Amino acid sequence: MHSMPILTIQSANHLLDALEDYLDKSEASFAMVIDRGGSVLSQHGSLPSNADTATIAALAAGSFAATKELALRIGETEFSALHQQGEQSQIFMAGVDDDTIIVTVFGPQTTLGLVRFYSARTIKRIAAVLQENRSHQHVVPLFTERDVRAASTIFGH
Amino acid sequence: MAIINYANKEVQFKIVYYGPALCGKTTNLAYVHSQVSEVNKGELVSLATAADRTLFFDFLPLNAVVIKGFKTKFQLYTVPGQVIYNATRQLVLRSVDGVVFVADSQWDKMEENIESFKNLQENLARQGTSIDHVPYVLQYNKRDMPNPAPVHYLEYILNNRRVRVPSFVAVATTGQGVFATLNTISRLLLQKFAWENEQAVAKHQRPATPPASTSLSGIAASATRR
Repeated sequence: MHSMPILTIQSANHLLDALEDYLDKSEASFAMVIDRGGSVLSQHGSLPSNADTATIAALAAGSFAATKELALRIGETEFSALHQQGEQSQIFMAGVDDDTIIVTVFGPQTTLGLVRFYSARTIKRIAAVLQENRSHQHVVPLFTERDVRAASTIFGH
Repeated sequence: MAIINYANKEVQFKIVYYGPALCGKTTNLAYVHSQVSEVNKGELVSLATAADRTLFFDFLPLNAVVIKGFKTKFQLYTVPGQVIYNATRQLVLRSVDGVVFVADSQWDKMEENIESFKNLQENLARQGTSIDHVPYVLQYNKRDMPNPAPVHYLEYILNNRRVRVPSFVAVATTGQGVFATLNTISRLLLQKFAWENEQAVAKHQRPATPPASTSLSGIAASATRR
């Protein structure tokens, strides 16, 4: 399993560029890259009803993980992509690598075929960015144990 | 594992509340959600059955303290406690940074507490880690029930490893002990993260050690110092 603990500024910008290009071409309304534990790595676009992206990431990761287990039980390694269709909005999820997933939300202005077509190219681009990010890990001081001890409260309670 | 985003200056941690069925995991999250200000919390999502039993997980994202310009964020999850949902517990444990083990203090739940803790260890092992490497705290919930087991007994059966971890009594329905538990596990995670970061920085900055001298002059010099 690859690790992805640190996202550099350069990688974050490359991911954003990839998502901007993807939404521009596919005409989807929102896309995000998440890790399989449910954390958002990058996002672009707008969601219908201003939904909370952290929640969508957690649900998407859970959904993807659950269907992966289903796939294993019927002799598949994984279902590489999932699609859910509603009346107005659709959601398309696809694995980027062992640790990340791309989630796309789109409406009637585009089609699943177009989204799938451009997602394939975007997935390769994102995978390359993440691979580059992993191979050049930077070690930068963030905060020390003393800084943590100095924080009087964590959640204000 | 903790995700660091330098672009957004954020560090994210995942905490999973684990424990037997009906021990109070969801109640913990519900209480936290009710007390944290709107600006610092997301939606509390509960994937549950019609009977309000957790089916997949509960999820609550929280914004926490800013340290040295870095926003710390915590994602709280609960697992379904019922025995049949072990496969989904494994999924929720993925990338976990810290665990709150919630035990039910009632006497007739002791066996379930022990089985659940053993199950946690097994599921962590499946992910290539262990309870020795994942920060965790214990919460002895339901202290308000008639005739709960004494705390020292719960400590004896659950907090008996080589290193004892922080433990808290709680009545999650009223909030007693809920934030004490959450604050402690969060601090443990932040301290572990800070320590590991300091170690990595120190290692990165350390000059390369020159190869040990095997010359006679080196041996003579050390003989003189003696």
